[in-house]
Amino acid sequence: MSDKRRNLFILLFVAGLVIASAVTIASKDTKLGLDLKGGVELVYQATPTKFSDVNDEAVDRSIEIMRERVDQLGVAEPEIQRTGADQIIVSLPDVRNADEAQRQVGTTAQLFFYDWEKNVLGSDLEPAPDDASVTGGQAAGQAGCLPQYDAVARARRRAAMPDQNTATGGPRYYLVNDKSRTVLSGPATERGDLFTVRGPDGEFERREDTEPRADERIVEVKEGTIVLRGEQPDGSEDNTTERDCYYVLNDDFALRGTDIENPEQNFDSGPGGTGQPNVTFEFSDEGRRIWQETTREIAERGQAQFIPGSSPLAAAQHFAIVLDGEVISAPFIDFNRNPDGIDARTGSEISGGFTIKSAQRLANLLRTGALPVELELISQSQVSATLGQQALDEGVIAGIGGFVIVVLFLLAFYRILGVIAVAALFVYAIYFFALIKLIPVTLTLPGIAGLVLTLGVAADANIVIFERVKEEIRAGRSTIAGIAAGYKKGITAIIDANVVVIMVAFILFTLATAGVKGFALVLGLGTLVSLFTAVLLTQAILGTMSRSKMLQSPSALGAAPQKRSIRIDFSGLSKWFFSASGVILIIGALALGGKGIDFGIDFESGTRVTAAFTSQQADEGDVREVLASQGLGSAKIQGVTDEELGENVFQISVEQLSPVKVNDLNRALDERLGIEGEPNTQSIGPTFGESVAESAIIAIIASLIVISAYITLRFEWKYAVPVLIALSHDILIVSGIYALTDREVTTATVAALLTLLGYSLYDTIIVFDRIRENVPRMPKAAFSQIANRSMSEVVVRSINTSVSTGLPVLALLLFGGETLQDFAFALLVGVISGTYSSIFIAGPVLIAWKEREPGWRRRRARIMGEFGGMVPAYADGSAAVEVDTDAKREAERRRKARRLTTPEDPSQGVSQAEFDEMVRDLDIEDSPVATEEPGYDPKADAQPEDVYMQDEKRKPKRDKSNRKKRNPRHGRPR
Amino acid sequence: MGMLVWVTMGIALWHFSVFVPDRFAGGIVGAFLGAVVGSALFGVLVSGFDVPGRDATDIGTALLGVPGSAIGMAVVYWMGARAVDEELEQDLKRLAGELPG
Repeated sequence: MSDKRRNLFILLFVAGLVIASAVTIASKDTKLGLDLKGGVELVYQATPTKFSDVNDEAVDRSIEIMRERVDQLGVAEPEIQRTGADQIIVSLPDVRNADEAQRQVGTTAQLFFYDWEKNVLGSDLEPAPDDASVTGGQAAGQAGCLPQYDAVARARRRAAMPDQNTATGGPRYYLVNDKSRTVLSGPATERGDLFTVRGPDGEFERREDTEPRADERIVEVKEGTIVLRGEQPDGSEDNTTERDCYYVLNDDFALRGTDIENPEQNFDSGPGGTGQPNVTFEFSDEGRRIWQETTREIAERGQAQFIPGSSPLAAAQHFAIVLDGEVISAPFIDFNRNPDGIDARTGSEISGGFTIKSAQRLANLLRTGALPVELELISQSQVSATLGQQALDEGVIAGIGGFVIVVLFLLAFYRILGVIAVAALFVYAIYFFALIKLIPVTLTLPGIAGLVLTLGVAADANIVIFERVKEEIRAGRSTIAGIAAGYKKGITAIIDANVVVIMVAFILFTLATAGVKGFALVLGLGTLVSLFTAVLLTQAILGTMSRSKMLQSPSALGAAPQKRSIRIDFSGLSKWFFSASGVILIIGALALGGKGIDFGIDFESGTRVTAAFTSQQADEGDVREVLASQGLGSAKIQGVTDEELGENVFQISVEQLSPVKVNDLNRALDERLGIEGEPNTQSIGPTFGESVAESAIIAIIASLIVISAYITLRFEWKYAVPVLIALSHDILIVSGIYALTDREVTTATVAALLTLLGYSLYDTIIVFDRIRENVPRMPKAAFSQIANRSMSEVVVRSINTSVSTGLPVLALLLFGGETLQDFAFALLVGVISGTYSSIFIAGPVLIAWKEREPGWRRRRARIMGEFGGMVPAYADGSAAVEVDTDAKREAERRRKARRLTTPEDPSQGVSQAEFDEMVRDLDIEDSPVATEEPGYDPKADAQPEDVYMQDEKRKPKRDKSNRKKRNPRHGRPR
Repeated sequence: MGMLVWVTMGIALWHFSVFVPDRFAGGIVGAFLGAVVGSALFGVLVSGFDVPGRDATDIGTALLGVPGSAIGMAVVYWMGARAVDEELEQDLKRLAGELPG
């Protein structure tokens, strides 16, 4: 296919895709994340139970069950997804009550049925079926119970009984205070989990110490014994009427929640029914059999205890339904009506003490089944719809601002080429937006940051190519040849740089938390799409237009001859650049040590409430007063500037609160100061913070390994080391600036840092790529001279790519909301530091290191000999010899195209000259007719093999002066 | 956090190694490793094998990275200088005909 046809085909293809994208954009809705439309997000961590380990199957089953539960909440477009090996994220758009949502969705619902009287243990640790003071008699499950401290003290005395149907599957631990006779925390499966204790205000808080304090001790209740909370009166769900009522049971359950089917909330409307709400259900085949046997045994025991003339109720025995360690109901078995137990073929019911809501909740829990694993709520956040909309508006403004600013930059700097780049940028924006709608990608605030950043990345690719095209035209090529050569030579660096960005985005996507995942996905996708538009599309446009008059003038392309070429002695000046970096890092180290880094609640755990108050007079003192009334007097309160919400916006940071407590706090703030709309709340548990920090460290290490491997593969391993040094320089500078400016480090900051790892390489790869290209071109120059020239050649494009990325990032910083500004600040500092370190750190380190190699040392010694003990910054004298590698490659190609295959005169056979030519064509390097490399003085100069880089297509010829002569006829030794 | 502070100080001081003739074993990269390892090791040793946590660092922690980094780079320099001397000695012997080649 000719170039013209190829270009036409690409343009038609692009146009077709633009139309299809426009249709997609018009017909599909954008899927917005919770941070943009409001709602509740819950993050759970799965822990194993006796019946299931935390494996893929158990987590997937849990997600299925949670999805069914969410469906019953009637939430539109809920999202439940797994993150990492053992975490589940539940996103519920438009839900306002986080407390109710988490109770409905995340309740583990470990449901068991116990034969009550047979298992309740008395003070002698033996069952006492006929002792009402132990079992509660007719008020089973409500009377005869003990305070929790006494129940635990009783239970701990019992030996292990593992050979029965135990619900616990192992020992349970409690932290008790013997002086106050209270249980501070437990039951826990691990001793280390006991130090999240209930404070004086009834809320749980994580203690810093992990050993029992004075008067405290850890108590172990062995497997086979269980402490159950007694039945709570109605209204206990909001903890207002809790009773300290506990029983000690022999842990030998009869049935599990998985043995029942089709539970429903109903009303007790049968003959003699009370009309009260109840829960009806059926049994599985196995469950039915066990149920009949268990109820028969209970009935027989009741019959045996019945004293004629007394009330049958006095002798009736019970079974207990236990949900998550609490007796929710303990109905009796009527031994007169069911002497052989209850035939469960028509199902069964649980009744008594239900409200419609509580009966519905139990039915729902039973219907969706018990979760196979235990779930711990480790993070909970609630975003108000108002603040979400505001964040979306800010994001859109930042995006448009970023786009406009990049367009202006491209037009101002590249004129006609800039117009083509802008056209490609428009096409990129249309494709990308359509792709986001088509997949669909849930667009979050970090995702918008990724989108804006990719605008810069897309422009970068154009800048790299256009600068190369300009360079080729300035070197004397025609416009057509310059465009062709520019794309051909520029594409390697672009692909290298973009591959690294995509790899880092992939690592980020695999390891990061949900919000950052959106950023990574958008960044990765955007980079891929930008490769298509910035390279293929612009090449097709330029190729089609290359013969037009418009492109014939070099000045129209910004390629007019330069009055002065850039010649900076980067190598010589490196001492001063190094000193500047050293001073900045010393300040950074002192700031890191003295002030530390302010890690946000993402890492430290805690609860944050952001609320706009309607009361115009509300000030920090008023907010603190309300907090003090909630026992949160030590909270950190910060006024937040928010033009849209008004002046009275406050951000309150406290230790982690439970959803119930968060609701109480919001209610109190609303009553006293009036909250505008809904507040934003975010609660992060210590486990979540730890897992975020762990993922961040793994992501950074993985990124560094991948980057090193890639650079080693594409260049050589010695090029990877300066890259790593430059990257550590960038990361430490960003850290130091964060410490110095007291900015909070969030997950967004870490994502920005990781992106920076990929992005910082963009410039470094451009520099290294040019050095790689110039090494064979300058066979007599010192490495520092080659590097100086390479860096001077690419310094403009390095600065321009940084500007084109920095400008949209600046737009994020100026127009974005809080989250976007977090990203933008880290990115902006990183982009500046990355550009600087690519040229002034990575380059000089590479020079210093490579010049120690024997080959380069010899060249340097020769040049020093020639110039009186110094090496000029730029190749001069004998070192200025240049090989036109393009021409050499072209000549080689032509020679191969004209390869001799038949003798000129077949009747005369193959002449010696023809034979020699054929041998040359076959590239037999030991052949005496093979092309000789120019000779070098081995004592004074580097041999080609000393400076050979693995990337070069052909290994240079070796010095054959000492080789044994070979037979010219056969190419074999004589 | 203590480790980050020490390493940052070590890398900061490494930047000034360009003012010293490059006789470091492994060159500028050897000096880098010397500075990083030296600052971290010295910090750990002086702190009694206890790395200060997030809230336990101060300016003194940062300054603790200075001697470690200097010692680390000095050790690498000494190793490099010794290797250069040995090489020189070999060359002299070769010139004097005491060694082949």
